[in-house]
Amino acid sequence: MSADPLLSVRNLKKHYPITKGILKKEVGRVKAVDGISFDVAPGETLGLVGESGCGKSTAATSLLRLEEPTDGQILFDGDDIVEHGDADLKAFRRRAQMMFQDPSSSFDPRMSVGESVAEPLAIHGMRDRARRRRIVEDLLERVGLSAAAYDRYPHEFSGGQKQRIALARALVLNPDLVVADEPVSALDVSIQAEIISLMRDLQTEFGLSIVFISHDLGVVREVCDRVAVMYLGEIVEVADTETLFSDPKHPYTKALLSSIPTPDPSRRNEGVELSGDVPSPSNPPSGCRFHTRCPAVIQPEAFDLEQAEWRHVLDLRLRVERGVDASDIREFLVAEGEAPTPEEVPDAAVARELRREFDVPQTLSDPNAETVLSDAISALVEGEHDEARRTLNDSFSSVCERDHPELESTSAGTSAACLRVDTERRIDPPPTS
Amino acid sequence: MMAADTPSGSTTAAGSTDRFEDVDWDDLGGLGLPLRTGLLVAVSAIYALVVTTDVFLTEGSVLSGTDWLFVLTLLVGAFFVAWPLAENRRLTAYYWRRFKKNRAAVVSAIYLLVVFTVGTVGPWLIAKPELNVIAAYQPPVFVSVDSSVPSACAGAVADGMCHGTWKYPLGTTSEGKGIAKLVVFGMRVSMQVGLITMLIVISIGTVVGTSAAYFGDLVDEVLMRYVDIQQTFPTFFLFLIVTYLFKPSLFLLITIFGFLGWGGIARLVRSEALQRREEEYIRAAENAGASDGWIIRKHLMPNVSNTVITAATLLIPSFILFEATFAFLGLTDPATPSWGQVIASGRGDLDSAWWIATIPGVFLFCTVLAFNFVGDALRDALDPRSEGDA
Repeated sequence: MSADPLLSVRNLKKHYPITKGILKKEVGRVKAVDGISFDVAPGETLGLVGESGCGKSTAATSLLRLEEPTDGQILFDGDDIVEHGDADLKAFRRRAQMMFQDPSSSFDPRMSVGESVAEPLAIHGMRDRARRRRIVEDLLERVGLSAAAYDRYPHEFSGGQKQRIALARALVLNPDLVVADEPVSALDVSIQAEIISLMRDLQTEFGLSIVFISHDLGVVREVCDRVAVMYLGEIVEVADTETLFSDPKHPYTKALLSSIPTPDPSRRNEGVELSGDVPSPSNPPSGCRFHTRCPAVIQPEAFDLEQAEWRHVLDLRLRVERGVDASDIREFLVAEGEAPTPEEVPDAAVARELRREFDVPQTLSDPNAETVLSDAISALVEGEHDEARRTLNDSFSSVCERDHPELESTSAGTSAACLRVDTERRIDPPPTS
Repeated sequence: MMAADTPSGSTTAAGSTDRFEDVDWDDLGGLGLPLRTGLLVAVSAIYALVVTTDVFLTEGSVLSGTDWLFVLTLLVGAFFVAWPLAENRRLTAYYWRRFKKNRAAVVSAIYLLVVFTVGTVGPWLIAKPELNVIAAYQPPVFVSVDSSVPSACAGAVADGMCHGTWKYPLGTTSEGKGIAKLVVFGMRVSMQVGLITMLIVISIGTVVGTSAAYFGDLVDEVLMRYVDIQQTFPTFFLFLIVTYLFKPSLFLLITIFGFLGWGGIARLVRSEALQRREEEYIRAAENAGASDGWIIRKHLMPNVSNTVITAATLLIPSFILFEATFAFLGLTDPATPSWGQVIASGRGDLDSAWWIATIPGVFLFCTVLAFNFVGDALRDALDPRSEGDA
């Protein structure tokens, strides 16, 4: 990273209040972006990746102040744009542009595309219509269209052409920074390649900094110098693209990388599959936000289980915390033909079914853990729900639920937010290698 | 602030072509307004000046309040309908191709154009019809009635039948006023009522609707709750009270219905604008640094204009019918020759002089029908959902 970043985001937060009733009482908050920090150097492309709903797009709109950030600093060329008044903000807008995901809705159907591209010029005070036209016609040719496209309307273009025009619109003010929100996700693969190479050419020509938001790791690897991985509104890992792809440190990054399809049949089925659902950003998990799905979640010192086994036990525990009704399992077993009525289903069968449901082995490899688990399950089967929960919580709680990891530098010289990186303890070898 | 990173060497002094990277943003000052905006400002200033002079400084004003409003309506039409249509020929041609698919609408549009032109220009060229008892109850040309009906037949009398003459092509009323002249004057009244009221309603409705949708929150709440209240207000009774208190006039009718009748349009525009507001091109304009006013004017309003134009063409006939009804009931200025008034004056003579009530009635009917046809065709032509099949 060079000494003077063009853009420097510090602890950026964007929360959406959930309100209720006529008085709009705040009953909760959707923490779409919850304290992210990163730098973008001049001429650099930073990728922002993550699953749908992890806050990538909100991060983009907040860092351009298209939505007011809830908290944090956005330093652009050393000035905090969060503090900017209207005039300064307008000056900033000229230097930072955005490209949108959906090429069909990002152009006003009532304006010719030339007018749309020229609009920023007019907004920033270029009143000479003929000059605007000359500039835009020249620019349209440079993004691979004809000057005659100026007078045509958006519906007359294909998605790829529209994205070229969108690129022209993003460039027309000669900005220093372009935030591209999934610029190629809506396009065919062959068109994606064209747009990407066009973006790269223009970037080298004009020394642009780009924040490239995508869920497509293949594209990110192609385009970006550095990559920041987001999960549930937080950045979990930042690394050079090469390092990230060859030596990911965060378990979430590993899982994302293993989701890229490989053409090599001998390397299939090695992927890390994430269990569970993406938690809601209105009520994010405590500690490390990834602990509910993390395949490498840390075990308590007392046990020595297989990592996968431990994961399944934890899944079971988290499910019990939300409430498991043994009578439902009995009903299910009756439907399966195990017994004629729910009352007659043997307790052992219920316990077996419960373990099977969560892929927990019938006997755990660690005898201490097995004792605790079977106690808890028998309590659950007898309907002692609270006791089962207490037993499980007492023994099977992970440090990952309690401590929130901060971004720390790793052995590879990158940053990751994982307690395993913090302490470098008990790291399982990455399953993909 | 200077744009950094202007590439060196990549530009090979490309002749006279302007390139975006060569723009020096610090140098750009105001280079004057574009022609249309400049002209608009000038014309508005002249208009305001002339109206002020006419209303406050001249004794016995040149034009009535209604006429001044009508002039304003025509100016607005020229700047915001005719000019953009002439400027974007391709789009105009596209709309015309779609519009002309509807034959009835084309015929209606021609009819309305004639009514509009005759109604606007005619009253200046012909004298106002005068009371003339001798010429009462003359039948229209080519029509004959028993010679006992008119007090003195102006045309040829044969076999006890009075034939109509070209002197009174559409016959005369019980007061001996020529119906042809009355129809022409009635055209002006109908056009004024329909167009001016429509202009007031859609101007306020569009501004309120788009603002409510764009700003949201408190602005939305205040504006739309006011609309709710206004919609419950009995405009008809207000009109009755005001005409009772003051001298009834067309001006009162137009302003009362104009300024209290925009609630429906505002709601319609708001719901349309709410959808448009979520489009990415609005985001893109915000991102380019556009002000709220710019976005509302350049993006929101053009994109709700389909809804507005269609609603407007369907509103006009309802206002024309309102006016005709009030005139029929005798609630308007008796000196204003309106179709409704003529129909009312002929209703007692339907058995002997049927033409008095019928002829203005036919014009009223055709005008209302024509506006409805044109409105339907415009909706089809402008609706982007049916795009692509032209």
